[in-house]
Amino acid sequence: MVTLIVCFLLDLNYEMPRTCSIVCQVEIATLDQREMFCLSEIEHTLRLPPHLLNLPLAEAIKGELEGLFLDKVIAKLGLCISLYDIRSIDGGFIFPGDGASTYTVRFRLLMFRPFLGEVISARLKESSSTGLRLSLGFFDDIYIPRALLPSPSHDEPDPEDKNQVRWIWEFNEQNYPIDGMDEIRFRVHSIQYPSLPLEQDDGSKPFAPMLITGSLDADGLGPIAWWV
Amino acid sequence: MKILQEYAGALTNFEVLDFLRSRGAGKDPTRLIAGIAPSEYKVYDYLEQTAASTQTRDIAIEFVQKCKEYNLAKAEILNILNIRPSCEAALYPIIEDWDIRFSVEEGKEEEELGLLKTICQVLPPPPSVMESGEGIGVEEEDNPDEQQKKAVE
Repeated sequence: MVTLIVCFLLDLNYEMPRTCSIVCQVEIATLDQREMFCLSEIEHTLRLPPHLLNLPLAEAIKGELEGLFLDKVIAKLGLCISLYDIRSIDGGFIFPGDGASTYTVRFRLLMFRPFLGEVISARLKESSSTGLRLSLGFFDDIYIPRALLPSPSHDEPDPEDKNQVRWIWEFNEQNYPIDGMDEIRFRVHSIQYPSLPLEQDDGSKPFAPMLITGSLDADGLGPIAWWV
Repeated sequence: MKILQEYAGALTNFEVLDFLRSRGAGKDPTRLIAGIAPSEYKVYDYLEQTAASTQTRDIAIEFVQKCKEYNLAKAEILNILNIRPSCEAALYPIIEDWDIRFSVEEGKEEEELGLLKTICQVLPPPPSVMESGEGIGVEEEDNPDEQQKKAVE
């Protein structure tokens, strides 16, 4: 099974001839900002359970790695979206007393890790008096606190839903509401990876291993309908 | 688990979409047969709604070459590819030091509008715009708004 390994890495000093594909080297030292999706190379020692011995090796390892990493947050690296490719598989030793073989695998994971200052479109999920919560479908823990909404804004109880609150931005004596219709563009303010809590009360929010705090406080941010 | 390289390369939205499509994401209506996990399908659904779903590799190469004359940073070009801003206001948060690079001299305003034109010509509009059939009326609508927004700052 051949996976396409084509990356779109730009180099401003390099003249791209028309016929070449988009595979160029990037100078990582000069690249301060990153992108929403990036690759991370990982090495992991994997135990392959014996019931997978009938599968071709690459497939069995891919299945195990996906079960381990997919849709999980790795601290400082972000949310793992997908296994991009497997670079090398070493080992295959069987330790004494164990029926399974152990492999050392090097592979690349496709991670979701937005950089600070990046502009992303998301949908409104919840709106409360402390701020907004946005969702990307695959990632829901994006919060816009009250302080980072465009100023001045005020909130009013939502006529449709008693528990929710609607935020309205006042600009030039016009009211611009934030309703759930459009996509909302926000800028990433900070990303935190809180550590696992020791105890959790019932009824509190489920633990979020990766929290993105966004800001709407600049031109061009907010619902797209405000600016078109 | 050992992290060998925390950052081994960046991918634009359309490359991620391409990668998922090459594994068979779009072809399977039942979403069970292709070897793609439900969480990956959520990413696929999100990307299909953005501007990346209508882009191709050739369009991206062409856009990058046309952007060379505007002196944009790598990250800004990638951001523009991902978001496809259709008006000036949407460009403000993407491009750093907008005032210094584009608006101070009068001659430079043409550059900024030229950049917008390049974006609108080269990159196809995102799916929601294409469905409703809105025109891409860029300059005329935004000039009065742009002055108001500047007044806020």
